[in-house]
Amino acid sequence: MEPRIDKTDLEARRKASLTLREHVLRVLRDVEELSPPKLLIPKRTLSNTIYDPEKGILILGEDVFERNMLDMGETRRFMQTLLMASIIYQALVENEYPTIRDLYYRGKHTITFRDLKGSLKEENTWDEQAESDSALRDLEVMTGLLREHMLILSKEKGKVVGDMRIRSGGDIIDLSRLGHGAYAIESTPDLIEFLDYNAEYVLVVEKDAVFQQLHRIGFWKQYKCILVTGAGQPDRATRRFVRRLNEELGLPVYVLTDSDPYGWNIYSVFKVGSITLSYESERLATPKAKFLGVSMTDIFGDKNKKPYLTEEERRNFIIKAKERDLKRAKELMNYSWFQTNKWKKEINMFLEKKVKLEIEALAGKGLKFLAFQYIPQKIQTGDWID
Amino acid sequence: MSNEIEKFRQMSVAEFFAKYREVAGFSNPARALYQTVRELVENSLDATDGHGILPDVRIIIEKVNGNSERSWCRVSVEDNGIGVPPLVMPDAFGRVLFSSKYIIRQTRGMYGLGVKAAVLYAQVTTGSPVEVISSTRGSSYVYMKKLFIDMKKNEPIVVEEAQFRKTNSWHGTRTSLVIECDWQRAKPRIIEYIRRTAVIAPYADILLETLDGEILYFPRTTRKMPKPPREAKPHPHGVDVETLKQIIVNTRAETLLELLETEFQSVGTITALKFLESVGLKPTLKPKTLLRDGSVLVNLVDSMKTFKFKAPRSGHLSPLGEDLVEMGIRRLYDPEWVDAIRRPARAYGGHSFIVEMGLAYGGSIQPSEEPLILRYANKIPLLYEEREDVSYKVVSEVNWKQYGIDFPAPLLVLVHVASTKVPYKGVGKESISDVPELEAEIRSGLLELARRLRSYLSAKEREAEAMRRVLAISKYIPEIARSLKIVEKPPEQWKPLEPGEEKHIVERLVKLVSKHVAVPKVRGSPEEPPNPEDIIRSIIETTKK
Repeated sequence: MEPRIDKTDLEARRKASLTLREHVLRVLRDVEELSPPKLLIPKRTLSNTIYDPEKGILILGEDVFERNMLDMGETRRFMQTLLMASIIYQALVENEYPTIRDLYYRGKHTITFRDLKGSLKEENTWDEQAESDSALRDLEVMTGLLREHMLILSKEKGKVVGDMRIRSGGDIIDLSRLGHGAYAIESTPDLIEFLDYNAEYVLVVEKDAVFQQLHRIGFWKQYKCILVTGAGQPDRATRRFVRRLNEELGLPVYVLTDSDPYGWNIYSVFKVGSITLSYESERLATPKAKFLGVSMTDIFGDKNKKPYLTEEERRNFIIKAKERDLKRAKELMNYSWFQTNKWKKEINMFLEKKVKLEIEALAGKGLKFLAFQYIPQKIQTGDWID
Repeated sequence: MSNEIEKFRQMSVAEFFAKYREVAGFSNPARALYQTVRELVENSLDATDGHGILPDVRIIIEKVNGNSERSWCRVSVEDNGIGVPPLVMPDAFGRVLFSSKYIIRQTRGMYGLGVKAAVLYAQVTTGSPVEVISSTRGSSYVYMKKLFIDMKKNEPIVVEEAQFRKTNSWHGTRTSLVIECDWQRAKPRIIEYIRRTAVIAPYADILLETLDGEILYFPRTTRKMPKPPREAKPHPHGVDVETLKQIIVNTRAETLLELLETEFQSVGTITALKFLESVGLKPTLKPKTLLRDGSVLVNLVDSMKTFKFKAPRSGHLSPLGEDLVEMGIRRLYDPEWVDAIRRPARAYGGHSFIVEMGLAYGGSIQPSEEPLILRYANKIPLLYEEREDVSYKVVSEVNWKQYGIDFPAPLLVLVHVASTKVPYKGVGKESISDVPELEAEIRSGLLELARRLRSYLSAKEREAEAMRRVLAISKYIPEIARSLKIVEKPPEQWKPLEPGEEKHIVERLVKLVSKHVAVPKVRGSPEEPPNPEDIIRSIIETTKK
């Protein structure tokens, strides 16, 4: 049976394959002219990761390094980058959807050569997936094509429900008619077409369990929201999907996580991007995302605000922060996007109280409290951190 | 030394031997066997290469059933040398002579005493005579004599003799002695001695047949020989009172001027006149008149030592030459690298000398914490007292790290001192003293060779590094070419890659790598440097061969 391929898909394949080919033809020109073949790759190092305060996201700096085939220390990586390009190119033109694991297996083979004494030696193109993953990332920064653009699949992790219709792979899907289940955000969120929706904002919750609870209690129906979870550290597809909701539909995005540095970091990944993958932030980050909670003042209150928890609930729900939580919090303070007054206050309060709180604790106080009191009230009063 | 000889002259041969036995190395049966082999082998080599004959030397050590308590051996050494004329034979083997000849010559043997000591040793330990079979070049006969030395009269006693008509053109000498011996203890020394002799004389064909029935054979590896040493007159700087006395007694010169001109080297008429003027002696004085007053002779010798004569000549010396030093080392050690150097002739105290050195690395040289030192004086291997030797001193003072050597390393140093008078340290004549002139030459030679070794080692390292680079890059060429070819094909009519479709790109990449990456020559074939592109192809062509 011929695979069903829609126009969006074909267009994406055409674009990606042409871009890949352009880069390879440049190398081939070097080869024809017998000049040292080079790949120009923006550096993926921390020192070349810059926070752009205007855009509000992490971006890759200007530093580029030359991967020269004739540089003995780089030849293997040069070969791996081109090998990765050829596998992806072949998959694109043959209408396949490889996963990153597939790419690893397709490229992994043994090359043979003779050493200087003439004896036969063997070496693998790559040994571990870490090597092929690294080649893929190099290819992404080199071409400016994300793996999503090259139709490479990864495990689906994010979920969405809400009063909204989308088209994917030629099918129309109603995100409000999925029963107790949810729509798994596909690996290629750019191939999704938004049809119509009836929502006022997007709520991203860190935890899958909380997402399910809010879904079952009908939260999104009552408050006209699109409910999303990344189930922990969000994958690229979820981040891209949220970004599109914000950018293309103009919906505000609120992020609800645990009250600890780990939760703050998840918020940070949605908002500005991740440090190791800063080259994708341009397309994945949602700079306007807001941190809804749970915040330290929700637990302890301050001079203008009553805490959401009673003295006794607080005693029961809070957990002592571990040493590594404190360390992580201090690290976050160094990042410029955590240096606003509200964030400083939040982090300092954490360092002072040395306690953390999980969202489940609020649900433990009562799911209704969480769904119908805490979240709506926070949004209504603008009690978030930007 | 001549004073010592002078002393011996007053003794009977028996007395002499009692003393000489220790000095000459006949102190015990093991040492005596080793010493006997040495004396005979060195005589054989002097009788061959000393006269331009390529040496064939056969050494046979056999067990002899004699006295039941002690172990006896027959040592026979045969050569193809000039041979000993029958009339000379008795004196050559049977009279302990203290030559009054003052002519100097670089030979292996010392005073011509060695063989006679061996004959005496055989006589006192086993009561057997020496058996000599010899024929000179051009003679139609082979002569055989068995003889003893009359220890009281110091005269040869021939106990048996014969002569045979030659049926071929053989010439040479075969000497046999039956002595008390200790083969087991002497064996390692004798083998080492033969090996080292094989190194210093690569043009010699040497065969050793041992008492255990083993045969050690070193066929010659070259027909090239050093030119034989020539006799030379003494240099005024190197003359002592005793020698001067001998010269005056034996000279035919009528005047002092004539004496200086004819009996010494490096003295011309003008120099002689100037010298005589400086010491206040009339040039016309009869030389023999000087013998009347010992103090005049002493003063004359002192003045000769300090007067500025021309440096001693060295043309009469017989160094091996750099190529023979190299060949000798190759013969036994097959080193990865070897080089040799001959230093210019120098003199100390009126005696000219030439230092030749070899340095070798790798091959069958055993890696060790110190360089292996092969020491030679006038082509004789010096086996003992290594740490006393000037060569050891110089070698151990070198900072080898500076020359790219990290011990343990397979390093060999050969030092050959050719001189009319080797400055031995002790009576054992196994080590050379650190005479400043000699030490300086050894040091200069060694450092020069060490520098050459360093440049070899660093060139080798650079070459290996370049080769590693070529390999590290070239091995990926096929993979890179395939990847490039897959993407080169336009998306519209894309088909999977056919085998060989990327061939053109492979070829371009081979050219490209050989253009930009220095491909070193493969060592060992400097005449035909392989095409760099072929080296790269040989790395990636894994199906052929």
